[in-house]
Amino acid sequence: MIRRVVAVGVIIVTALLLQSTVFAQLRLLGVRPELLYLVTVVVAFLEGPSEGAVVGFISGFAQDLLLNEPKGILALTLTLLGYTIGMLRQFIVSPSPFLPVILVALGTAGGVLFYVVVSFLLGNYDDSIANAVRVALLAALYNAILTPLLFPLLRRVFEGSRPTRVVRF
Amino acid sequence: MVAIRRRPRSTRLLVVALVSVSLAIITLDYRSGTTGPLASLGRTAKTAIAPMQEAVTSVTRPISNFFIGLANLPSLAEENRRLKEELADARAVAAGGQVEANELEELQDLLGLQDLHPDGIPAVVTANGVSNFDWTVTINRGTNTGVAVDMPVIAGSPDAARLVGRVIDVTANSSEVQLILDRDHAVWAEIDGTPEAGLVVGRGDQDLAMDVEPDAELEGDENIFTQGYEVDGQPGVYPSGLLIGQISRVSPEPNALSLPVEIRPAVDFSTLNVVLVLQATTADDDQEDAAP
Repeated sequence: MIRRVVAVGVIIVTALLLQSTVFAQLRLLGVRPELLYLVTVVVAFLEGPSEGAVVGFISGFAQDLLLNEPKGILALTLTLLGYTIGMLRQFIVSPSPFLPVILVALGTAGGVLFYVVVSFLLGNYDDSIANAVRVALLAALYNAILTPLLFPLLRRVFEGSRPTRVVRF
Repeated sequence: MVAIRRRPRSTRLLVVALVSVSLAIITLDYRSGTTGPLASLGRTAKTAIAPMQEAVTSVTRPISNFFIGLANLPSLAEENRRLKEELADARAVAAGGQVEANELEELQDLLGLQDLHPDGIPAVVTANGVSNFDWTVTINRGTNTGVAVDMPVIAGSPDAARLVGRVIDVTANSSEVQLILDRDHAVWAEIDGTPEAGLVVGRGDQDLAMDVEPDAELEGDENIFTQGYEVDGQPGVYPSGLLIGQISRVSPEPNALSLPVEIRPAVDFSTLNVVLVLQATTADDDQEDAAP
């Protein structure tokens, strides 16, 4: 359990570091990837809705602390994203290796738009809708491109630190 | 059977709890603004991550600069179409050395700038913001070296001090600078060689926008400088005479109430490395000149 908490912490800090340094330089048409959306979707995909929601909340709050928006918006967004993807996952039986890529893309696009809507309702978003959609789609595309690289890595970390399940009857 | 039914319900409970906590955080932070407990928690987080960002940047900057240099090559080649292909090849080979030469030049320019503003605080850009919707950078100087909120940040050479942005948040060892690209950023500016003035507003990765009088006579390549002003004895954030950029497009429309102008920033924000934070008092002389 402790191993898992440490693993999640390291992943979140690394993602925030990369997003603010390397990926802020290597943008795709002016848009950087949203690594914590990717992490949340992958965790929800691998571990289910409750773990997805918890990791989503923690990583969202971590990024919120670095933002100048009202804090908590991303925590809310990623909590719901992790839960939704985790629930959705239970109804998908496709063994396709592209499934994580598709889920990451859909989750990122939907998540970014949700974030913008909440931010707008709080009077904090003064940009055009077109730009929000553009950022959402490009971030989704960028995340989708990164998924094949990061998914095996995250899977190894999470499967390696999975607590031994106690089967109860 | 019990176990199967219990899991979804506890999951739902968990999600409801987390959503409630998020909403409570949003409300609390929204109401308490920059002085609340969450804001100071945020500053603690920024203080903790700043040294790590600095370390990562010091390793990755040469690499990413190299790629940015390569990415810029096609546009350079287009500008110099008459140059032969061999020259373009030679440039690709030289790109690595060029990056270092640029950096040296940048540092020398900053030294010159500092002569002009002796109490300016030199700083290195260590990171960008994490969000796709904010345009900020983090610099490696904070309250320890005298940086305070609202101080102007500039780059460039003594002949043309270029506007980067202003400090919006400070921790002990780092500060966050809002770039002029940010959509929340606006600066009062004048068009060089004309009586026109207006508000220059950031538009993210697009060129800056400015509205001027519809009958303004513009060549289309004028430089834009900040204009100092004073309201009730309270000066604006920026001193006058800092170069913001050059007009890149004028799009007149018949019968419009204003003339929209687009401005290309003078600073290349993708390779911004060293900056100078101005203490608010340095530009007093300039401001007296500009006062009407």
